[in-house]
Amino acid sequence: MITFSDFSFQYSKTDSPVLRRLNLNYSPGEFSLICGPTGSGKSTFLKTINGLAPHFTGGTARGRILLAGQDVSGSLPHQLAELVGYVNQQPEGSFVADTVEDELAYGLEQLGIAPAKMHEAIVAIADSLGLADLLTKPLGYLSGGQQQRVAIGAAIAAGQRILVLDEPTSALDSEAAEELLRLLTQLAHESRITVLIAEHRIERLIGLVDSVTMVHPDGSVTKSEPAKAFNDYRMVPPLVELAQRLDWKPLPLDIEAAESFWNSSRVATNPRIPFRRDLTSTVLQVSDLGVNFGGESALHPSSFSVAECEVLAIVGKNGSGKSSLLWAIQGSGMRTSGKSLINGVDPAQLAAADRFEQVCLVPQNAADLLFLNSLAEELEESDRFAKVSAATTAGLFARLAGRLDPIRHPRDLSAGQQLALVLALQLVKGARVLLLDEPTRGLDYEAKRQLATQIATLKSSGKAVLVATHDLEFVSLVADSVLELVEGRVISHLPVAEALASGTALATQISSLVRQPGVISINDVLGVDHA
Amino acid sequence: MLRTNRVSKILSGASILLAGSAALLMFIWPLLIQSQNQNEANLAQTVFILLMPMLVILILIEVATGGIGSKQLAILGVLTALNAVIRLLGAGTAGIETVFFLLILGAYVFGSGFGFLLGSTSLLVSALLTGGFGPWLPFQMMAAGLIGLLAGLLPTLRRRIAQIWLLAVFAVFASYLYGSLMTLWNWPLLAGVGTSLSYSPGSALSDNLGNFLRYELFTGGFVWDTGRAITTVALLIFAGPAVLATLRRAANKAGFENSN
Amino acid sequence: MTNPFSASKLHPAVWWMVGFSFAILAGSSGNLIVLGAILLACVFVILSCRETAPWSQSLRFYLILGALVVSLRLVFRIVFNLESGGSEPWLRLPKLGLNLGVLGEFQFFGAVDKASILAALTDGLRLAAIILSVGMANTLANPRKLLKSTPGALFEVATAISVAINLAPQLIESLQRVRKARMLRGRSDGLRALSGIVIPVLEDTIDRSMSLAASMDARGFGRTADQSALRTTWLRAISLVSVCCFAIGCYLMLATKPDLLSLGVVAIGLVCLVWAVKANSAKHLRTRYRPQPLCPADYVGLLLSALVTTAALLGWGV
Repeated sequence: MITFSDFSFQYSKTDSPVLRRLNLNYSPGEFSLICGPTGSGKSTFLKTINGLAPHFTGGTARGRILLAGQDVSGSLPHQLAELVGYVNQQPEGSFVADTVEDELAYGLEQLGIAPAKMHEAIVAIADSLGLADLLTKPLGYLSGGQQQRVAIGAAIAAGQRILVLDEPTSALDSEAAEELLRLLTQLAHESRITVLIAEHRIERLIGLVDSVTMVHPDGSVTKSEPAKAFNDYRMVPPLVELAQRLDWKPLPLDIEAAESFWNSSRVATNPRIPFRRDLTSTVLQVSDLGVNFGGESALHPSSFSVAECEVLAIVGKNGSGKSSLLWAIQGSGMRTSGKSLINGVDPAQLAAADRFEQVCLVPQNAADLLFLNSLAEELEESDRFAKVSAATTAGLFARLAGRLDPIRHPRDLSAGQQLALVLALQLVKGARVLLLDEPTRGLDYEAKRQLATQIATLKSSGKAVLVATHDLEFVSLVADSVLELVEGRVISHLPVAEALASGTALATQISSLVRQPGVISINDVLGVDHA
Repeated sequence: MLRTNRVSKILSGASILLAGSAALLMFIWPLLIQSQNQNEANLAQTVFILLMPMLVILILIEVATGGIGSKQLAILGVLTALNAVIRLLGAGTAGIETVFFLLILGAYVFGSGFGFLLGSTSLLVSALLTGGFGPWLPFQMMAAGLIGLLAGLLPTLRRRIAQIWLLAVFAVFASYLYGSLMTLWNWPLLAGVGTSLSYSPGSALSDNLGNFLRYELFTGGFVWDTGRAITTVALLIFAGPAVLATLRRAANKAGFENSN
Repeated sequence: MTNPFSASKLHPAVWWMVGFSFAILAGSSGNLIVLGAILLACVFVILSCRETAPWSQSLRFYLILGALVVSLRLVFRIVFNLESGGSEPWLRLPKLGLNLGVLGEFQFFGAVDKASILAALTDGLRLAAIILSVGMANTLANPRKLLKSTPGALFEVATAISVAINLAPQLIESLQRVRKARMLRGRSDGLRALSGIVIPVLEDTIDRSMSLAASMDARGFGRTADQSALRTTWLRAISLVSVCCFAIGCYLMLATKPDLLSLGVVAIGLVCLVWAVKANSAKHLRTRYRPQPLCPADYVGLLLSALVTTAALLGWGV
């Protein structure tokens, strides 16, 4: 269906090629996962298929691409629109129309399909993607998962045989993401559409796909069966990493397959010591804190405390009240009852500048806090504003992310580097309490591991850290205790080893496999010292 | 190929300018025409109100004939939305008119054709959002479009600070120009004839100019324009450099050819 | 029984035709009774045809604006009056003088005669009637539907506008979100805060616009029939001729009176406009999903608008 032959791509003559001498072939109905470290040419690879690279992004391509046997090298994206459907990360940013029906019709209109056929095509695609009841709804009212389904429908409504998706699940919670991936599997295996998907969180896809395409940092691209694809453990989910470390072959991709390996191996685990809060060193005391939005309760009154050197993970689905809780603790968010005391002072009583010295929050869109044109300017402005000696912020940043070229534009940094920058800017006044709202969005495994190390560094300097997230594997790396929210209610507040233990709804891959108390992450199995 | 490109570029530039001048004539007729008959003048004003929308449509087509790529179009869409939203948030407070800030910067970075489109679509969208639709809207769209068109013709200076000062000076000029154009439009309609600040058909230019200035003064038009000039200049000085840099970055990203 | 003329039953363009024809009649009229009738007709049509859409609730706005225009016109007439000295004064007010320096001697108040008050009232009502006619069209025509049925020549502009309308609520949200985020850095509001708020939103917006453009391109946006440079130049010339005809026609009308020549020039302009729109639309290959066909009620509307326009051109309203 798709054939690359001797295909190379580079953005400018001076840079080294992003894709180097590709020779690949995808068959009809093949479902392939595209992976590779951040900054490798995953997105570029996908964009070359319908000509967005180079016609949209700039750059030069050499070699040939064949779609359905037809040489399309050099074709423009709109010339390939009948063949290839393209879906990108944020569906709400790519909508042209205002209702589901019109959005599905947009591509058909552009392709000049006869109005009578158009209606048929829309009804058919809406049925197969479960959108039939939503046709007249405005796009803004849909959930993230529904929006992404509309985007997929709009991309293949004209009967496109190839579907290319660039990290379509990054804004979805895990339930919605799994549903979407099931749907894509159906499209590939039942409707025989060739589906290529780039994705950070490999664990939920690895059992579904037919092949894995690796885009390597040197520009070479290889395709292989899922079980043979991974030789670099920095990019893989914990289960696969464990299998690699213990040298299990063939590589098990799900827990059932791994269980027989585990049962026959006799690895001595290294269970973590149960976390016990030091009651004398409480930094943050939350009591009866509740939030109502327009008469509806976003957070029922809740009480808990966090000690210094403690990392508390707040877990729950999208819309379960995690953000409301963080913003209410910080003091600038809406509150309907209760208080949060940091060393006896409620930040809600303080002016914004004084609050900043006590508690800092890194919002979901960390880049919202960045407004200058270079890294150096941001760091210097922060020193000036905080009235601290020069290079204080820069020092903090270097401790978190290493040294980076100071003339780089903050928006051009990777998601992980941006997060480190915002952490440095927020911590410049030495706040004791740090609140992080969904910090792992858009991070790959390596970046998540780095973030975990950064949080450990901050924790060891005596801070109390609260992390709202739905990424349980990340929780198992950083947290000491876990607070679970369901529909605005705290339903449990436990040490992390109990909260994520096997048999619970929050069990990690490792705890489901190993089933031993105190073993929830790969570090607990292999005995790497706990940071 | 290259040559035809250049010819068509010059042609499109010339035709947009010509169309712009024709549009300007539709505003300033009270100062040029020495009509004798009041009733006929009344009818003609109605004709203006009806023809202005057509003229706006024509110029929009004229600008779009060159072909707008998807990237230009998307940037136009989002800047229009941002401009309309900023205008909504700024409206209501006396004299604070924020629409020119982004219009001038956008036009300066993306060129005069884009400027015309941005000016007219911004006012249309903010009218659609507020429901403030009326016979004045085509005139506002045209006047704001002309401001954008002119801003797009300003030279690209080498130093950024010089660019900001150039734009600030232009903003003052544009604020009074827009105000005067809109006042010229409503002057014969609101003040009628036979008063000491009315348009008087058949009088000399100097008399009518005097009457017009008095009308501006007594209806508070000058205060309004001054408020607009101050707001825009202040915005340009405080946020201009950063916004300019951001827009230039976007222009690079979107692969706009040299905008001027 | 449902009203066959309720707002959404008719094509939005028909509402605009009706509105325009009312405006033409109002513009050509100097008769208080005719103007009053147009005003009443507009209010009646709005009240009987409007639905509950958000853009349909602005009747009050247009009525207030109309009243404001009429009273403004009267106030100007009385306050800045120039005594004509001819007929019998109707209102006698003390005369005031003011020296404005360069702008000359200035008079306030004084005697006002009945004819000039009546003329001011007529002019004010005429403007109010035009405003209400346009307001009627705006109140009854769904702007989104109208955008969808714009001719292909305006397709790009219409797309930009509908993108902007869909995006505006999201932008208001992002502005609020960024403002809240800014407080997290301990910063306060104020003029200096502006770039801290505008820049993140602008950056986001631009990123968003690029992904939007990619998605449009990938779905076939930009497919046009091949057009020679000659044809493009030719189309451009037609629309330029149209623009010039409008300008010249208007000036002729003002300088002399609406005679055959000036009306003819404007008519040529209109023909060129239609031509330009048609020819420019032809280059697009796209089709329309569910175009709204004209229904019998639409034809009634069109007939009404044709009748009213003819009446205006024949001078019945004078």
